[in-house]
Amino acid sequence: MAVCVNVFHKCLRLPSTLLKLRPVVHKLNATQITRTFCSTNALAARKYTEQHEWIDVQGKIGTVGVTDYAQGALGDVVFAQLPEPDSELNQMDDCGALESVKAASELYSPVSGTVVEKNKDVEETPALINQSPYEQGWLFKIQLSKPEELDALLDEAGYENHLKNTGH
Amino acid sequence: MKISVVSQNFHRSVNVWSVGFLKYQTAYHIQQYLANLQSQRLNKEKTLDGTIIIVEHSPVYTTGIRTQGYSESEERRLKTLGAEFYRTNRGGLITFHGPGQLVVYPILDLKSFNKSMKWYICKLEKTVIEVCKSFGVEAERSSDTGVWVKDNKICAIGVHGSRYITTHGIALNINNDLSWFSHIVPCGIPDKGVTTLSQELRKPLTITDVIYPFLQSFSHEFECDMKMLSHEVRKDVVNHLKKENLTSDITEAQLLRNNDLKLK
Repeated sequence: MAVCVNVFHKCLRLPSTLLKLRPVVHKLNATQITRTFCSTNALAARKYTEQHEWIDVQGKIGTVGVTDYAQGALGDVVFAQLPEPDSELNQMDDCGALESVKAASELYSPVSGTVVEKNKDVEETPALINQSPYEQGWLFKIQLSKPEELDALLDEAGYENHLKNTGH
Repeated sequence: MKISVVSQNFHRSVNVWSVGFLKYQTAYHIQQYLANLQSQRLNKEKTLDGTIIIVEHSPVYTTGIRTQGYSESEERRLKTLGAEFYRTNRGGLITFHGPGQLVVYPILDLKSFNKSMKWYICKLEKTVIEVCKSFGVEAERSSDTGVWVKDNKICAIGVHGSRYITTHGIALNINNDLSWFSHIVPCGIPDKGVTTLSQELRKPLTITDVIYPFLQSFSHEFECDMKMLSHEVRKDVVNHLKKENLTSDITEAQLLRNNDLKLK
């Protein structure tokens, strides 16, 4: 699908790995193409917490990770303690931790539900969180029990504002 | 014990509480209590921007969240040496705490400082480096977290952060018995050693000699003033410990005694 200008502007604020796609975006407007990272649907689905987790919901399953800001503030992640599949979480429960520079930082679940999968690649190679926080560095997938909780989370503009206003 | 700290009228302040000789578990409960109090942000006059707990432990080995590498038989082996063993929620691998080692747990609200763990760890390292320098010991950072004198670690660091409230902290070797470290691979780094300030200076130093320089360096690096933790909060902590059956009359008296804190 073609990528609209609004989405292109949104792409400018995405992490550097995705910015490499910028030259591609101009061509997309003229050609029919399958969904890319910059597709409107993916960005609209992503919500954020003030603790710098993101969640991308497709149907009833949300994929959770930490933002580019978070991975920068942590430093090189050496260990990811992820919630086990089948564990039940409430919104904002601490559900794991990421370790970097001998500091363990807690992870919070953006929504209530049941964990369906944790990212074994990230357990094996925690650096994926730094290299690709929105793609290969996803942390766990959760089946939402209360989808209305998403309304309380920040959208991308809200998260950007949060970063600005809270002195990040 | 008198603690005199230079006040430079920074816009941030932290409390200081030197609790003396305490078992690891008791100090851990104190950390958790103060961290909860800090996170509530209900009474900023009491909590300020954080509290620094200064403590000396009886022999104990602790691991961090990467604890699977330390089996139950490993745990039993270390306990038979006469030490306790705890698996904690901090970062970092296995380490040892014992008499003669200055252990400091800054329970800080990083929202008042800088909301980055990387920044926090770096500042802790710089604080310790400055302390070592004040005693004439050249210490430095390396790619491995901690503070080093050449290939020997003089200070271990391992912390935890929850909603920007920090717990755990640092352990600076002053004149502790290093043979306890020979039973482990300290912090998981096999080809490096450990050292103490006394060893580097070839003269005996004690924890008391180092507390004031440490607080000075901390105040300078973190740009914060210091004051002694109020009797009121200390009493609340003691009451909490009593409910958990973690304190005796002796410990209670120790925790409530007044350490003079003079602001110059």
